[in-house]
Amino acid sequence: MKLSKVFINGVLNENPTFRLVLGMCPTLALTTAAINGIGMGLATTFVLVGSNLAISLLKNFIPSKVRIPAYVVIIATFVTIVDMIMQAFVPALYESLGIYIPLIVVNCIILARAESFASKNSLLPSIIDGLGMGAGFTVALLLLGSIREILGSGSWFGIPVVSEGFSPAVIMILPPGGFITLGLVLGLLNKLTGKTEQP
Amino acid sequence: MSDSVKMSLKLFIITAVAALALGVTHAVTEEPIRQQNELAGIESRKAVLPDGEEFIEVDTARYQAEYPGIIEVFEGRKGSTEVGYVFKILSKGYGGNMELYIGINTSESKLDGVTIASHSETPGLGANAAEPGFLGQFYGKPVISPLTVVKGDSGNAEEVEAITGATISTKAVVEGVNEAILFYNQVLRDGGEAR
Repeated sequence: MKLSKVFINGVLNENPTFRLVLGMCPTLALTTAAINGIGMGLATTFVLVGSNLAISLLKNFIPSKVRIPAYVVIIATFVTIVDMIMQAFVPALYESLGIYIPLIVVNCIILARAESFASKNSLLPSIIDGLGMGAGFTVALLLLGSIREILGSGSWFGIPVVSEGFSPAVIMILPPGGFITLGLVLGLLNKLTGKTEQP
Repeated sequence: MSDSVKMSLKLFIITAVAALALGVTHAVTEEPIRQQNELAGIESRKAVLPDGEEFIEVDTARYQAEYPGIIEVFEGRKGSTEVGYVFKILSKGYGGNMELYIGINTSESKLDGVTIASHSETPGLGANAAEPGFLGQFYGKPVISPLTVVKGDSGNAEEVEAITGATISTKAVVEGVNEAILFYNQVLRDGGEAR
């Protein structure tokens, strides 16, 4: 498989949010503003690349029967180390991304990619897959965050974008708004790509 | 060697290496993290008491029962002169606990700033309490008597305008500020029993 294809695959065909429908918990909880989407997306990309790298390197060492506990240990260790190092040496970055890092431990995209890609591929494709999946996740969160922030707060990246007469619908940035937006965007994408199943 | 023994051994190696890596990282980062937190603490104190250069913690343990919301009190100093106090206060908002930093300027007997360190108020409603538009109201308020919440325009100096649709969040902030004002007047102010 060509490397560019691996990357595109993560953004489009196997977009973790819209195609694989993975990592819904951070998706629903964090997309109240566009900036959160970017933050969570970037933090996840960072961890995804690192964990794919580690798993790919260790794939021959890890016995297949206990691979899931091994992955969980490796990913949790990696995330915790990233968390501590960021807090200690890059406080500015930690301030903006730090709150997302512990949430990544419970993000199943990481485990899914370790299981379905990194454990079967060599180092470089695994890193590219991490980048692609991370980019796809970031784009998806940015899209959902933008829709919810514009409709729910009347702003985009904190800058007011709607006219005076528009009164923001607060429900859009509350949990129900997350489900509504995700459902509608998923439905729309399925309609556009013709992937609907006939009942 | 049987398969299961091999498997356990490999898993053991992975967890042992992970534990070692975590331990080493912790040892290396412990001190920098502590320094960062200290720095962040000073920053958040300076934000509400800009004149302060050095902050000395005031022992408030014996007032815990009477003032349950007070987490920490710092005396702000510039050189050897006392410029004011910074209070870290826990208040109860609509969505849960709220942590406030409140700065009182002693020479002018006024509030020098209020910030919200953490809260879990409703986005779009109570969360607006953390915005400068609301918190800015507290700047320069006299600390003679407790502040009151009003709906609509505030006329008097000791009144605070409520956020539309978020009266509970507004009250939580004002109550936190009032606890600091009370503690300042009862305990810290000249002749207070703590001095």
